[in-house]
Amino acid sequence: MAFQCSYYLEPLDTTNLPRRFLDAFAAILAHSNYGPVLDTVARISARCGRCAVTCPVYQASQDPRDIPCMRSELLLTIYRRYFTLAGALKARAGNAFTLTEAYINTLAEEVYRCTACRRCKLECPLGIDHGMITHLARWILAEVGIVPKALRVATREQLDGKTHNTSAIPAAAMQDTCEFLVEDCRDTYGMNISFPIDVEGAEYVFFPAVSDYLLEPDTLMGNAAVLTATGASWTIGSHYFDGINYGLFYSDRMLDRIVSKEAEEVRRLKAQKVLIGECGHASRSAKFFIKTFCGGRAAPEVVNIMEYTWHALRSGKLELRPNAIDARVTYHDPCNIARSGWIIDQPREILRAICADYVDMTPRGKENYCCGGGGGTVSIDEIREFRTKIGGATKAEQIRRTGATILVAPCANCKKQLREVCEDHGLDHVQVVGLHDLVLKAIIPPPHMRVEKPTDPEKDK
Amino acid sequence: MDAWIELARGPLFRLALTICVLFLALRLANAVYLLAAAWWRAGDRDLPWKSVAQATARWLFPYHLLTVRPLYSAASFLFHVGILLLPFFLAGHVALLKGILPTWWPTLAPILADTFTLLSAAAVMAVLLARATTASARALSTVQNVAVLLLLLLVLGAGFFASHPATSPFDARAMLLVHILSGNLALLLTPFTKLVHCILVPLTQLASEVGWHFPAESGRHVAVVLNKENEPV
Repeated sequence: MAFQCSYYLEPLDTTNLPRRFLDAFAAILAHSNYGPVLDTVARISARCGRCAVTCPVYQASQDPRDIPCMRSELLLTIYRRYFTLAGALKARAGNAFTLTEAYINTLAEEVYRCTACRRCKLECPLGIDHGMITHLARWILAEVGIVPKALRVATREQLDGKTHNTSAIPAAAMQDTCEFLVEDCRDTYGMNISFPIDVEGAEYVFFPAVSDYLLEPDTLMGNAAVLTATGASWTIGSHYFDGINYGLFYSDRMLDRIVSKEAEEVRRLKAQKVLIGECGHASRSAKFFIKTFCGGRAAPEVVNIMEYTWHALRSGKLELRPNAIDARVTYHDPCNIARSGWIIDQPREILRAICADYVDMTPRGKENYCCGGGGGTVSIDEIREFRTKIGGATKAEQIRRTGATILVAPCANCKKQLREVCEDHGLDHVQVVGLHDLVLKAIIPPPHMRVEKPTDPEKDK
Repeated sequence: MDAWIELARGPLFRLALTICVLFLALRLANAVYLLAAAWWRAGDRDLPWKSVAQATARWLFPYHLLTVRPLYSAASFLFHVGILLLPFFLAGHVALLKGILPTWWPTLAPILADTFTLLSAAAVMAVLLARATTASARALSTVQNVAVLLLLLLVLGAGFFASHPATSPFDARAMLLVHILSGNLALLLTPFTKLVHCILVPLTQLASEVGWHFPAESGRHVAVVLNKENEPV
């Protein structure tokens, strides 16, 4: 039977696939730190089923293959058989498990049904990180050519293409967009903002999810408004300006290459820090892996734009208009910044400062539910039905219960997914926006930013 | 019968205990070594020690357990408490370990010992029931998962009947022999089955954290081994 997945693949060479899979697995075990994890998990896994209760995918599908422990077991079976003494002895005794192309096909299908939200780890008494095991399985699969086409094509453009970003935006087009946003902000909000490009010696180099330049003008204007209002020393690098890192979803090799490009751009501009825009996975990959791959403690510090805004608000450098937003607002915690406890209260403090009616979802913060498009699955359009109907079912119910009409999702991936979730769950009245979209409406510009709004008879009408 | 009992609680018990302790120590040392080596070669050696310690403590003292699947969790919790207390603090066991344990070592009062035994046995049965009736737990259960629970139930049940000869429906000496033999088997199996988590659990949260701390050159080394250094994406 031909190798088949519910997501598109580029043409796949299946020659000696099991052998090549095992070679890749062996190479990764030899040169990564996954070995001790698998060694421990393979011994202790008690398969108690608590992960099933906490996984939103399994809760919606009720399909045993979606139980995190069950999915991890697919890889652990290979590990036990081919990389442990007991497995070798069992094989000698005969009747042992043998890795086949069909088994790899099953693994390839299952690991992309996981949103890698890592909620299951919180409730595992033994601390088994099924998200990590999924992550490892995806890397091994990637080394034999099994990667969703959408992720691979975008990464190819980012690393080997002419534009060096996942949306294939030429630097000149990015600059044009910035100029347009400056005008738009002046006309619509009566504020002068700026998008400094290639300023050497700036404190921050800004890397939003590059798709924001195409899809999220208000988020970018909000980011720039805060940075301009607080007099930040920042710049966008024209050589590399994409925060997106699909390496986090399928390959540590790609993860390394992408964060290295961010660090390289910071060095080129003689800047000090990496400033990531509103994007969960972009923030996590930079925060946790620039240090890993780009010099340890000597690597540039990584700050998320929400942290920056929160500090500015607390220190009094940023003034926001209380009750600027009348409608009921709720907040979605992107897993990649909330699960570790990194960014949970900061955005809420900002929202409470500007919203008349803010409500939280339950559960929230570290225990939040994934939007259903985590782990890169949001970029795989062909699995939309699975993403929204299964992956996003719990989140849709959470949103519905809040009664909110504005849903703040400070992440490019979560925003795309949640818009589709709302569409597919009859929540069309819910507007999904970024945090800085609302900050933009609430900011009290300092004198140097204020401009007279040109009168527009059409708008006034 | 008495000769068999003496053999079981004499040389066989000492053998089982020695193998258990030796291999548990080896397992622990191996895990510590692997984790320390992994940490040493990580590109970023800053570990979130506080959150690892908190997560470990959270599960060593799982007061929050009852929030998820309360009956299953309560049964599992009681079972673990009993299974940890009884081997080390039951008067008969302490007597058996005379010379190994210090003289001041406390023992459980008979009423407490009986209570923990019955609660643990009931908890094992509840966990077995949950494994049979909950769809997700049933899907996850393996022969080993069930066999280990049945073995522990046998240890607990036989031990209880052996210590209550007046009310036991079975021959107390036979029950004692079954108790000791099944206990010895449990000791022997501990390092080689999932029961090994009794010694590894303080390290499991740390293992998950260390796994995310990659060696700085991991990707490049993998590319070299797989001849992919110059391969385009």
